[in-house]
Amino acid sequence: MGVFLKKMFYSLIKKELLIEFRSKQIILSMLIFGLAIILIFALSSNVSSEILINYSAGMFWLMSLFIVVIGVHRSFAYEKEFDAFSLLVSAPVDRGLIFLSKWVSGFIFITTTQLIIIIPFFKLLLLDIPADLYLFILTSMLINLGMMAIANLVSGIVIRSNFSEILLPILIFPLLSPLMIAATKISYGIINSQSYEIWNVWVLIVISIVVLFGLAGYALFDFIVEE
Amino acid sequence: MELFFSIRKNRIFMSFVAIIFFINLLNIIFNTPMIADQHWAQKIFYVHVPSAWVGFLSYFVVMISGFMLFIKNNDNWDNLGLAAAEIGTFFMGIVLITGPIWAKPIWGTFWIWEPRLTTTLILFLFYLGYFMFRSFGGNIERIRRQSAALGIIAFINVPIIFLSVQFWEPEIQSHPQVEMVSQPAGILYPFIFSLISFTLLFILMLRYRSHIIKFKNIL
Repeated sequence: MGVFLKKMFYSLIKKELLIEFRSKQIILSMLIFGLAIILIFALSSNVSSEILINYSAGMFWLMSLFIVVIGVHRSFAYEKEFDAFSLLVSAPVDRGLIFLSKWVSGFIFITTTQLIIIIPFFKLLLLDIPADLYLFILTSMLINLGMMAIANLVSGIVIRSNFSEILLPILIFPLLSPLMIAATKISYGIINSQSYEIWNVWVLIVISIVVLFGLAGYALFDFIVEE
Repeated sequence: MELFFSIRKNRIFMSFVAIIFFINLLNIIFNTPMIADQHWAQKIFYVHVPSAWVGFLSYFVVMISGFMLFIKNNDNWDNLGLAAAEIGTFFMGIVLITGPIWAKPIWGTFWIWEPRLTTTLILFLFYLGYFMFRSFGGNIERIRRQSAALGIIAFINVPIIFLSVQFWEPEIQSHPQVEMVSQPAGILYPFIFSLISFTLLFILMLRYRSHIIKFKNIL
């Protein structure tokens, strides 16, 4: 990446982080929504902790999926105000970098939210915190990269259409289904202290999703946002 | 612009497809052998598998049309992509109906999270969203480009979905799989004929539907 592109990329990231630092809308809304989901999970799952532990990985990723949808939608909704998105795409900026900056900033937002919410998640569900918490967080970060690649790509597509808030989950959920299977399998393996050999295939699937959708997003974003 | 069926070669092609399809139906009902433990349920496969083939072929055409739209910037590629998406979703719907009808007497349950059926369901749901996206409006030029991108990302996701479901729960996929290529000649040849009939029907539907969409856009 050339020096000019690097500067452009850092400026775009700085813009995303600065907006969030000032308003705190995305992380705060993701956090509160996540806590509300945990509350509902805790109250509606009337089973013993031995059974609940089998569902906890799926619940964690279901919660993450919901908060990603509102976070990504909010991130692009900023750009709709005063038609800022049209100004952004008409600026002499590589549009692929706009995608990359949204991807990286989205990854920072979801990871920050998960880091805050992970302890309340296990404690409110009356479950033990995974013994290998660092591995849990590390693999979650990889999965977040995949989720954010897909979510930002689709969000860039639907954001300027009517009813974008409805279209976003309708289009994202089917696309994210393989990633959700992989995420649940990896997290389940870590929570239940399974050996790496049992779930390593899922890590490879997540890596392939990250690479595939990262490249697709970078290549297609130029055409998607063209005026 | 002429109507589709006012063009002579289209009328001839439609008649040809209609005859082939009629022979195919008669062949499936009266000529194909009955399998002892499956009876009439087995005959669904002469419709189910070709429908799945046409469905995936349609979505492949959507992806190619998407790439071509980006390269050539010609609206005809969007018309073709939309037509293929509609036809693909129609045939995927048939797959999702005929699959459970076959599965109930053979596997004892209407639904199994089997890789091919699951991939079909995921694509079917995604394309329902695709049509919603197209119909919710906005700048028509932008919608065309964005739909092309959706078609591309949907298809590149297919191998990942398939692999994920295959690795997912091996124990719930222990039901016997039907591999048509390993079937005896009495089943295999009518099956290949059915596959060709459905492919010809797909070509006719694609030509007709893209013609209609082009006509509608001109009006």
